[in-house]
Amino acid sequence: MTAYIVRRLFATLPVMAVVALFVFFLLRFAPGDPAAIIAGDDATAESIAAVRAKLGLDRPMVEQFFVWVWSLMQGDLGVSIFSNLAVTRLISQRLEPTVALTLSTLFVAVALAVPIGVVAAWKARKLVDRLVMGFAVLGFAMPGFVLAYILIYFFAVQWQLLPVQGYKPIAEGFLPFAESLILPSVALGVTYMALIARITRASMLEVLAQDYIRTANAKGLATDRVLLLHALKNAAVPIVTVIGIGIALLISGVVIAETVFNIPGLGRLTVDAVLKRDYPVVQGLILVFAGAKVLVNLIIDISYAFLDPRIRY
Amino acid sequence: MSAAGSNILEVRNLETQFNTLDGVVRAVDGVSFDLARGETLGIVGESGCGKSVTALSILRLIPPETGRIAAGSIKFEGEELTSLGEAAMKRLRGHRISMIFQEPMTSLNPVLTVGTQIAENVVRHMGVPWRAARERACEMLDLVRIADARRRLDEYPHQLSGGMRQRVMIAMALSCDPQVLIADEPTTALDVTIQAQILQLMLELKEKTGTAIVLITHDLGVVAETTERVVVMYAGRKVEEAPVEALFAEPLHPYTRGLMRAIPRLDVEADAAGTRPRLQEIPGLVPRLTQPIPGCAFAPRCGFATERCRVEPPPLVDVGAGHTVACWEVDRVRASAL
Repeated sequence: MTAYIVRRLFATLPVMAVVALFVFFLLRFAPGDPAAIIAGDDATAESIAAVRAKLGLDRPMVEQFFVWVWSLMQGDLGVSIFSNLAVTRLISQRLEPTVALTLSTLFVAVALAVPIGVVAAWKARKLVDRLVMGFAVLGFAMPGFVLAYILIYFFAVQWQLLPVQGYKPIAEGFLPFAESLILPSVALGVTYMALIARITRASMLEVLAQDYIRTANAKGLATDRVLLLHALKNAAVPIVTVIGIGIALLISGVVIAETVFNIPGLGRLTVDAVLKRDYPVVQGLILVFAGAKVLVNLIIDISYAFLDPRIRY
Repeated sequence: MSAAGSNILEVRNLETQFNTLDGVVRAVDGVSFDLARGETLGIVGESGCGKSVTALSILRLIPPETGRIAAGSIKFEGEELTSLGEAAMKRLRGHRISMIFQEPMTSLNPVLTVGTQIAENVVRHMGVPWRAARERACEMLDLVRIADARRRLDEYPHQLSGGMRQRVMIAMALSCDPQVLIADEPTTALDVTIQAQILQLMLELKEKTGTAIVLITHDLGVVAETTERVVVMYAGRKVEEAPVEALFAEPLHPYTRGLMRAIPRLDVEADAAGTRPRLQEIPGLVPRLTQPIPGCAFAPRCGFATERCRVEPPPLVDVGAGHTVACWEVDRVRASAL
């Protein structure tokens, strides 16, 4: 198992290299020039060229790439063209809100979706099942930002139970931190909840038809043990896979929630950096996002072995 | 036959039906039989004759979305099971009535260890802590002669062979000393050599524990070797019942006779002489169970059938010594050569 994990970690290196290559050249070939943005609207061609030379953007592209990769290997993501701050510092400042929002959204989605899916499968084709699945279709169809505004209107504006917007770091106390995350997590999580609930139901239905469930029932086991141990553990692999995909989607999906709820996270940083063509920041962010996805994938793959003893690496 | 009162299980006029797209299937259509304490009863018939459904009905494991016990009575130790509450039924299953299934490859949960699957039954019904239940599981694996039982407790089903898995199923089913063990084709999926071992094991354990066994099979050879009394089912109905010697000495229902003629036999002399008779199949097909069958269900395939057989269902008649048969033409059948 350890050997497998080490092997997989090494296998991420070429993936990250390809990501780095793509991100670098894609950005350079995209229209827009950071030098022109810095120099301002009424800058002359000479002043733009001067800015470009100062930033090193006048060098051959291949040279720029290798300079970037060289510092990358030393753990240096470069310096923002606009704020002159180290990209690593910019990212680490914005990391907490995004990680907190991702995890809390995931928690909301999984904690509700899995029980809902199990109950729906157990009561398949009955009223509970139809209600739950109807709700799942609705949740899947409803865009997150629409739900976000509806939630803000009722919970924050009308009833004033929760803050309208903003983010409180956990350092300022857990309660304000949690309060600031509830609405964005629900708004963002409903789609994933619907997705995970549907997969849980489908996977459970398949498992509940298996011979070993009949055996479990023939032993007179309590219904909760049959459902939650005998069935759910067998149904877990597809569910965990979808949760993993959910995490990957969430990491990039937080942009909208961060914008609507005015949360200073990586999503907002990305949007700002892209609009300004702040190459080093965008490159660093995309590498971080890609690295996170690769890591989540690895964790999901490893979790299979714990869920199903027939899987060996 | 055992005297009244010593029966542990009494099934009367059981009717189990399934709703399908083609209509209501009468999978079990008025079946009655008794099981005495410690007895081994065989239920024989082709696929689809209602044997397994009868077994599942006794444990009330018919999936409620599609099927139901429509009529009849199932009494276990005098207690009516058809109207028993689900909670009481759950206390009975795996404890006083256990079941083992045909497919050892798929009947064990692939993600739980063998030890957990046996011990959970013990915890559930004996109310003992897990540690004690694991000890019991270990004893049971010893009892079904799985070598190195303690190590096997922590293994998963995929690490065991088919025969071993069926031993585990038996260990599980017997772990709470049930009064009745229902074995639904327990050896069908196994190699012939393993089949004999498993049957032998079941009989030995029966001697030790006094558990009564209902052995469901399509294999008359298995019936002859292991059971004391046999119920022959056809198209959801009981067509004949007899002590096993009587049944093999003088099968009285044309269907039972057909089954016996369809058993392949080794006959070295006939082979050498080139006079080995052709294996005889029963002509025709099992009737569809979606339509009510007015007369004898076997009539369309029966060489003895008369007009009466097609319109009037034959009653079960006692022909002596606990041998009953449902056939209008039983005298002609008896007079004819097997």
